[in-house]
Amino acid sequence: MTRKLVQALPPLAAFTVLLLLWEAGVRYGFLKPYQFPPVSRIARGFVELSTTGFPTGVSIWSHALTTILRVLQGYGAALALAIPLGLVIGALPVVDKLTAPLIVFCRSVATLSLLPLVIVWFGAGELTKVFLIGYGCFWVMLSNVIAGVRYVDPTLVRAARTFGLKGLELYRSVVLPAALPRIFAGARMALGVGFMVIVGAEMIGTIQGLGALIMEARTFYRSEITIIGMLVIGLIGFAISAGLMALERAMLPWAGDLDRVRR
Amino acid sequence: MSQSPVMERRSPDTGVGGRGPAEAAFIRIDGARKVFTQRSGGAVPVLDNVDLAIAENEFVSFIGRSGCGKTTLLNMIAGLEDVSAGRIAIAGKVVTGPGQGQGVVFQQHALFPWLTAVDNVAFGFRKSGLAKAERCRRALELLSLVGLDAAAGRYPREMSGGMQQRVSIARALALDPQILLMDEPFGALDELTRIELQQELLRIWEARRKTIVFVTHSISEALTLSDRIVLLASNPGRIKRIFPVDLPRPRLRTDPGFNALYQAIWNELST
Ligand SMILES: Nc1ncnc2c1ncn2[C@@H]1O[C@H](COP(=O)(O)OP(=O)(O)OP(=O)(O)O)[C@@H](O)[C@H]1O
Ligand SMILES: [Mg+2]
Repeated sequence: MTRKLVQALPPLAAFTVLLLLWEAGVRYGFLKPYQFPPVSRIARGFVELSTTGFPTGVSIWSHALTTILRVLQGYGAALALAIPLGLVIGALPVVDKLTAPLIVFCRSVATLSLLPLVIVWFGAGELTKVFLIGYGCFWVMLSNVIAGVRYVDPTLVRAARTFGLKGLELYRSVVLPAALPRIFAGARMALGVGFMVIVGAEMIGTIQGLGALIMEARTFYRSEITIIGMLVIGLIGFAISAGLMALERAMLPWAGDLDRVRR
Repeated sequence: MSQSPVMERRSPDTGVGGRGPAEAAFIRIDGARKVFTQRSGGAVPVLDNVDLAIAENEFVSFIGRSGCGKTTLLNMIAGLEDVSAGRIAIAGKVVTGPGQGQGVVFQQHALFPWLTAVDNVAFGFRKSGLAKAERCRRALELLSLVGLDAAAGRYPREMSGGMQQRVSIARALALDPQILLMDEPFGALDELTRIELQQELLRIWEARRKTIVFVTHSISEALTLSDRIVLLASNPGRIKRIFPVDLPRPRLRTDPGFNALYQAIWNELST
């Protein structure tokens, strides 16, 4: 424990020195505050955001909540569709071969390039934002579910076949559990994509949400607010991702290598 | 682990199974061929015209260079791989798939990583119609047969390679198969564990009267265990020579007969 603390000291010190230099740089006019807002400014911005709000009346908490709800809706819908669909496609090699090019294509289309089209379809309301997030998450999740099912160790399938399992039962009791780690990994990747899309998705037709906050701040040259929005998005993504990992550990105690792989 | 020596099962004069031409073969392989079609479209002949008759309760080992087709032949007997030409029959019935009395211990680790040791073994009873409690009881029994009762609750990743291999053997025994097909089951083990497991296997073979087809790269392992040793040649895989092992069990490496056979197989293998 103490050892860990001692180990953490040098980088912490370096970081503090950097922040102090930054602060000094702005104070003595080497750096422009609207380009490189110093810590003091960010702190003041945060106080403003959590009390009066920016734009006035919309606090950082309300921005964050809006964004979380949008991401969860899009992400949840994407998972709810991609998991069953992926399980079916993965089970049918012919269908997999037929759909593979389409899936790769759709996954490669940058989600935000769809923005104008989606606005034409759904207007500039909630649905557009949730749709864009969902689109990004869906293809990533789908390709991971399919890959998870397709690349199950054939020896495991053979072992099950020697005990008379076939068809649906084989799929349910061997292919599915064997694919779970990959499915979970896909869920984490898809979440990442959801947060990548959020700023763009909230660019239009709203003043609510962290993406909107960041764009709004840009208009007023309030760079410190952009940075706060960025930090909060990062923190939320981190928290949800950690939750997913905890869920994964609880549900797949046998996989167990997660920690070692990650560090 | 049993330390008791394994007694000679058959008196030498009755003839060790499968060698008499008239003796009914339990597993009969007639002109079996295997051709794999490559992704490029080309066809690779992997096994060419294999004829072999294995008697009931016989212990036969396959030995041969890496890639000569031992696993492929074993999988074909297991019904997990089609025969390109020829036929394989068990007790007179052509093999069309698994579940004709074949239990398999695979070359690679084939335990289900999401199941504990006892559940892996119990998996073998899935289609048996037994009640869950009964399946679990029998699985524990099999685990203690291979000396692993203490590790029943562990996941495969929490067990050493040797323990995993024993669980695989216990699982293969679940449906009390007449035939046990074992693909280098002791390949990755240290010498001591390997010898212990060999004794264990002979004990099971004794007690449960099984026909065993055993793949190994170790001449002395084959000599310690088998009634007959089938030497395969490669490109394409075919039977090069069959060595009957007429030594009393337990077999000792110091036995001159053991050494003479070892030398003979070594010579045949290396030419
Ligand atoms: N699915 C496959 N497609 C194409 N070729 C294959 C396939 N499986 C095996 N082979 C080829 O068949 C040959 C025999 O393979 P096999 O696994 O039976 O060898 P083996 O004797 O068991 O080798 P080892 O001792 O290394 O386990 C090899 O040359 C291998 O490349
Ligand atoms: Mg092999």
